[in-house]
Amino acid sequence: MQSHVQNSTASDGEQTYFDMFSLPRKLTIDTAALERGFYKLSRQLHPDLYARKSAAEQAWSLRQSSLLNDAYRTLKDPVARTAYLLKLEGMRMEDENTENRDPRAKQNRVPADLLEEVFELNMQLEEMRANLKMGEDDPALRGDLERAQVQFKAMLTSLDEDLRRAWAAWDAAMDASDDAAKNEQKDAMVAMLDRRSYLRNLLREVDGVLTWQGAVGEKANI
Amino acid sequence: MAYSDKVIDHYNNPRNVGQLDKSSESVGTGLVGAPECGDVMRLQIRVNPETQVIEEAKFKTFGCGSAIASSSLATEWVKGKTVSEAMEIKNTDIVKELSLPPVKIHCSVLAEDAIRAAIGDWKKKNAVGEAAAVAAN
Ligand code: FES
Repeated sequence: MQSHVQNSTASDGEQTYFDMFSLPRKLTIDTAALERGFYKLSRQLHPDLYARKSAAEQAWSLRQSSLLNDAYRTLKDPVARTAYLLKLEGMRMEDENTENRDPRAKQNRVPADLLEEVFELNMQLEEMRANLKMGEDDPALRGDLERAQVQFKAMLTSLDEDLRRAWAAWDAAMDASDDAAKNEQKDAMVAMLDRRSYLRNLLREVDGVLTWQGAVGEKANI
Repeated sequence: MAYSDKVIDHYNNPRNVGQLDKSSESVGTGLVGAPECGDVMRLQIRVNPETQVIEEAKFKTFGCGSAIASSSLATEWVKGKTVSEAMEIKNTDIVKELSLPPVKIHCSVLAEDAIRAAIGDWKKKNAVGEAAAVAAN
């Protein structure tokens, strides 16, 4: 009885985050139902109820609680929810850290033009950082970066609109049990989430450089 | 996170940083990215048209230390190899050589993708071995 909620993958017989809250595998969810389910299940797993139980049962309830929290946090955030659903659907998002990956799995997932832009912007960021470190500012370069910042923010906004449309399309395909439409949306959403993570990373870098006050600004994730 | 000495060495003294003339017939350019972290890597090769030997390789990586080390190592490894030999380089070889921890495997994947993309670009430019190019994709 302990094994049925342990893993978040979609393999047979395992309960998904959606199952935990008795929610359909859709991307527009009933957030009130999610909240209610979360509080109800949290109460059922409350440590006080397990105070006099065996160590094994206590450990189990603890594991269930942390799983419940993960599930709740994931489903609450629409982007995390989307990434999770795509993973359930076998799209293996954010999971390239495996030795036996399929080398073709990721090919062309990110459009070449975006990569070019990302690369160019990184070149400018590097130059700007070098300037700043010397205590200099380059107004022309700063202007370029500010324009890029505006442009990337706009891209992010319109991407999020596309994403919202894709959620609706996915849900409709679910209702209609239309596998072809589902697959189409899956591929589209994988590409969108990849794009989104580039844009977000880039914006973080640009924001960092433009608000640089000294000492920070160097990319830290060596 | 603790890095292996080899990663630190490549990070502090990256080999072959720079760029080659993208428009040259003998140059193949691979530009790839890892959506997980938003890092990007450009790897370029200059191939001898007669022998198909990679005579020069350059890279520029905006990313983590492991990605920089992986691409630096990749340029060292491809140099002197023929194009088809270079296609044999696997990200797992890079992982082993640099002792990358599991969370950094995707950084080595990026380097493998970059090699393949650079070779693919060169093949396309030179209309080399259609069959081989298709197999590589
Ligand atoms: S963390 Fe992104 S390539 Fe290493």
